[in-house]
Amino acid sequence: MKVAIIGAGVMGLSTAYYLSKSGIDVTVFEQKYLLYGASGRNSGGITPMIDREELIPFALESMKLYDTLPSEVDFNFLLRKEGYVKLASSERDAETLKEEVWMQNRFGVSSRIMTPEDVRDFIPDFNPDSAVLASYCRESGVIFPWPVVWGLAKGCRKHGAEIKTQSRVERIETNGSKLIVYSNGEKYRFDFVVNSAGAWSNEISKMVGIELSNRIIKEEVCVTESIKPYINPYIYDISSGVYVTQTARGEIIGGITGMEVDKIDTSSTIEFAIRYAKRVVQIIPKLKGLAMLRQWAGVYDEGRDGLPVIGFTEVEGFVQANGLGKHRGMVIAPALGKELARLIEKGENPSIKKFNPERL
Amino acid sequence: MRLESHPIVDFKRGKEVTIYFNGQPVKAYEGETIAAALYAAGVRVFSRSFRFHRPRGFFCAIGKCSQCMMEVDGVPNIRTCKVYVRDGMQIRTQNAKPDAENDYFAIIDKLIDRFFPHGSHYKKFNSPRLLREFMTKQMRKMAGFGNVPRNVPDVNTEYEVMEADVAVIGGGPGGLSAAIHAAKYGAKVVLLDENNYLGGQLIKQTHRFFGSGRHKAGTRGIRIAEILEEELMQYDNVDIRKETKVFGIYGMDVAGVQNNSKLLRVKARKIVIATGAYERTLIFENNDLPGVYGAGGVQTLMNVFGIKPGNKGLIVGSGNVGLILTYQLLQAGVDVAAIVEAMPRIGGYFVHAAKVRRLGVPIYTRHTIVKAFGEKKVEGAVIAQLDERWNVVEGSEREIECDFICVAVGLSPAHELLYHVGAEMKFVPELGGMVPLRTRFNETSVKGVYVAGDVAGIEEATAAIMEGRIAGIHSAITLGYGGDEAKKELDEAVKDLEEFRAGPFGERIVCGLEKCVLESEVML
Repeated sequence: MKVAIIGAGVMGLSTAYYLSKSGIDVTVFEQKYLLYGASGRNSGGITPMIDREELIPFALESMKLYDTLPSEVDFNFLLRKEGYVKLASSERDAETLKEEVWMQNRFGVSSRIMTPEDVRDFIPDFNPDSAVLASYCRESGVIFPWPVVWGLAKGCRKHGAEIKTQSRVERIETNGSKLIVYSNGEKYRFDFVVNSAGAWSNEISKMVGIELSNRIIKEEVCVTESIKPYINPYIYDISSGVYVTQTARGEIIGGITGMEVDKIDTSSTIEFAIRYAKRVVQIIPKLKGLAMLRQWAGVYDEGRDGLPVIGFTEVEGFVQANGLGKHRGMVIAPALGKELARLIEKGENPSIKKFNPERL
Repeated sequence: MRLESHPIVDFKRGKEVTIYFNGQPVKAYEGETIAAALYAAGVRVFSRSFRFHRPRGFFCAIGKCSQCMMEVDGVPNIRTCKVYVRDGMQIRTQNAKPDAENDYFAIIDKLIDRFFPHGSHYKKFNSPRLLREFMTKQMRKMAGFGNVPRNVPDVNTEYEVMEADVAVIGGGPGGLSAAIHAAKYGAKVVLLDENNYLGGQLIKQTHRFFGSGRHKAGTRGIRIAEILEEELMQYDNVDIRKETKVFGIYGMDVAGVQNNSKLLRVKARKIVIATGAYERTLIFENNDLPGVYGAGGVQTLMNVFGIKPGNKGLIVGSGNVGLILTYQLLQAGVDVAAIVEAMPRIGGYFVHAAKVRRLGVPIYTRHTIVKAFGEKKVEGAVIAQLDERWNVVEGSEREIECDFICVAVGLSPAHELLYHVGAEMKFVPELGGMVPLRTRFNETSVKGVYVAGDVAGIEEATAAIMEGRIAGIHSAITLGYGGDEAKKELDEAVKDLEEFRAGPFGERIVCGLEKCVLESEVML
């Protein structure tokens, strides 16, 4: 069996990793370079404390994988599990947080509601006046997305998969039970083609005549200059969409939850910088004196109903693996990749049936 | 270490104040930057490097190298070469215990490469899991640079949005000239500069300029800055914003921070980027040791603040900057051990070289610096001869006694903002590195964005002034200002610059420019 993976993000690479681990012949096509897409541009917050119950089992499974994968591929993802704080700054959002926590607890996530004052226990400089309610989950943290991608790529190569960077897929043709992929003037034949191209998934899907229409979301992120380890948990304010934490290197990293855009665009805006800075210094006032060092934008995609799109399609051999959505791509991708690999290998996998593209 | 008298510059020092460095009082004068005051007080180790905790000192003096970052009044990562002293200021070094001078972690420099070659933190101690988690925690403790912020800075932040016909970024010779010539024909100009003075690097050029008669030849750089500023002041359609650091261009909006407290957003119809250049450094053993300075950094210290960089210097590079700097050092009463030049002949003008030779400074061509030595600061250097293939001739090494080393090996354009606007760039060695493609009116591939001065290609201040003139007039004309008179001056300005570059010293520049000229030109 020969499988092509389009897109070397965390989703594509984890699928490639588990497929190649089972001895399947895998080729990964990446249009630019490792880390070019959303997997290289996000801020690394991972938590099972997410808002969709359908995805929680995969988040919990991924948290376990993040504990075992580094030893397996011999690469340190620089994971630190020092908690994840969600803030609500309006009464309505406070209700949402409560409902979420209730739901999360039912699905086995040890999240809990706390007062803003309690947040100071883990973030001494947190300003409790900046929120009305908070929720917290200890079994969460911050990962450095780059070594996750590098490490998975290393694991793929170890098991014989080939990763082709600077290899944009230009065309896909069907030929009987085979799919033919054109890239860089070369022609490749595969039994399966996995579309894990993130924000570019709609375009790839179109190549085989499938209208995918995932939402494309643009998100902006920035870092300050580096300071000593200071903020340990990941903080996400659901009211403003602002999130902030500190990187492994000491920069204060943060951004604002993305908005849907018509087409792929990675330009930075000053509006983002202003909105972000204003909110962050309300949350942690002492950050006011820091200089912003860099800002950037990234794009990712989300299924129309807010859930990922994963599984076989009406085109034989063409598999969707995209639409992972806001604030969770990094935390659900490893487990979803593992399950998708099983689906391709065995021909069925009930655990990811609800993400079947045909539901749309 | 402060100079009391100087043949050319008269240092007017401000009121005496006291600042506190790691808790110890240090005498300083108003008008001095923190870095200059600390240098004058004998401080050489300004910070420790990120990973190896190697001592780092003063280098560029213009806010580019980040070696002088310290905590100032509780705020981390302040570039002390850009902040002026205030009485009672509390300054602390960072990334060191107990302080940068006596950092215990300096031991890492001796050990780390043996146990952790670069990048190995991803590859070591990965299993079992508990060991990995423990080691990752320890690594995190070592990470980070600045001190944790101690307090909320006491500033009221503001936001101002303004409109301008022409936004000029950089108040050096190129920017000043662009602002003057756009304003002259009636365009509404905003001039933004990060310093609290105009003139850019001219203010440390105490020597007389060369060039043809009417290009301010024979005038000292410091005076040229004053002349340009006076000229600009005549126009009331110019808004000058000093101490304004431009950090980005978003579309045609120029964004900057004024006085560390106001976010300024200039909605511009035309933008002139005149951000100048960075000093290059050279690769040799211990090139990061305090005492290895950029030539410009030494000029700032000596010619702007009147502080002696040391007692005896070694100059690397015999271009005009190296030669002029040598002369300026001798003027200030600082000894120069030698000038080394890797090329087989002297790079700068003969007159400058002759002057330096007459004063007894040896110039070693076909020589290079092999290493600097010293524990926490330069205590000497080793130079050696080079063969035709640029390899060190064995046995030719010799020690030079010096307490500082000036690296004068040229400049690289400060081109970040050009990348922000998405200008097409090209590597042109004759012009100093990555430079934008431009029309002969200095407009880049992005319509309405111009370049002037060193950012367009490393040249001299005179050329920067002439480029600024072209960019300024052209931007004004394309906005509908000036009429025939402006068009006439534009033709003249283009011709002037061509003439200026026609001499033997312009050959290299002309050759470089040919590689990056955009054919499409805005028709007038």
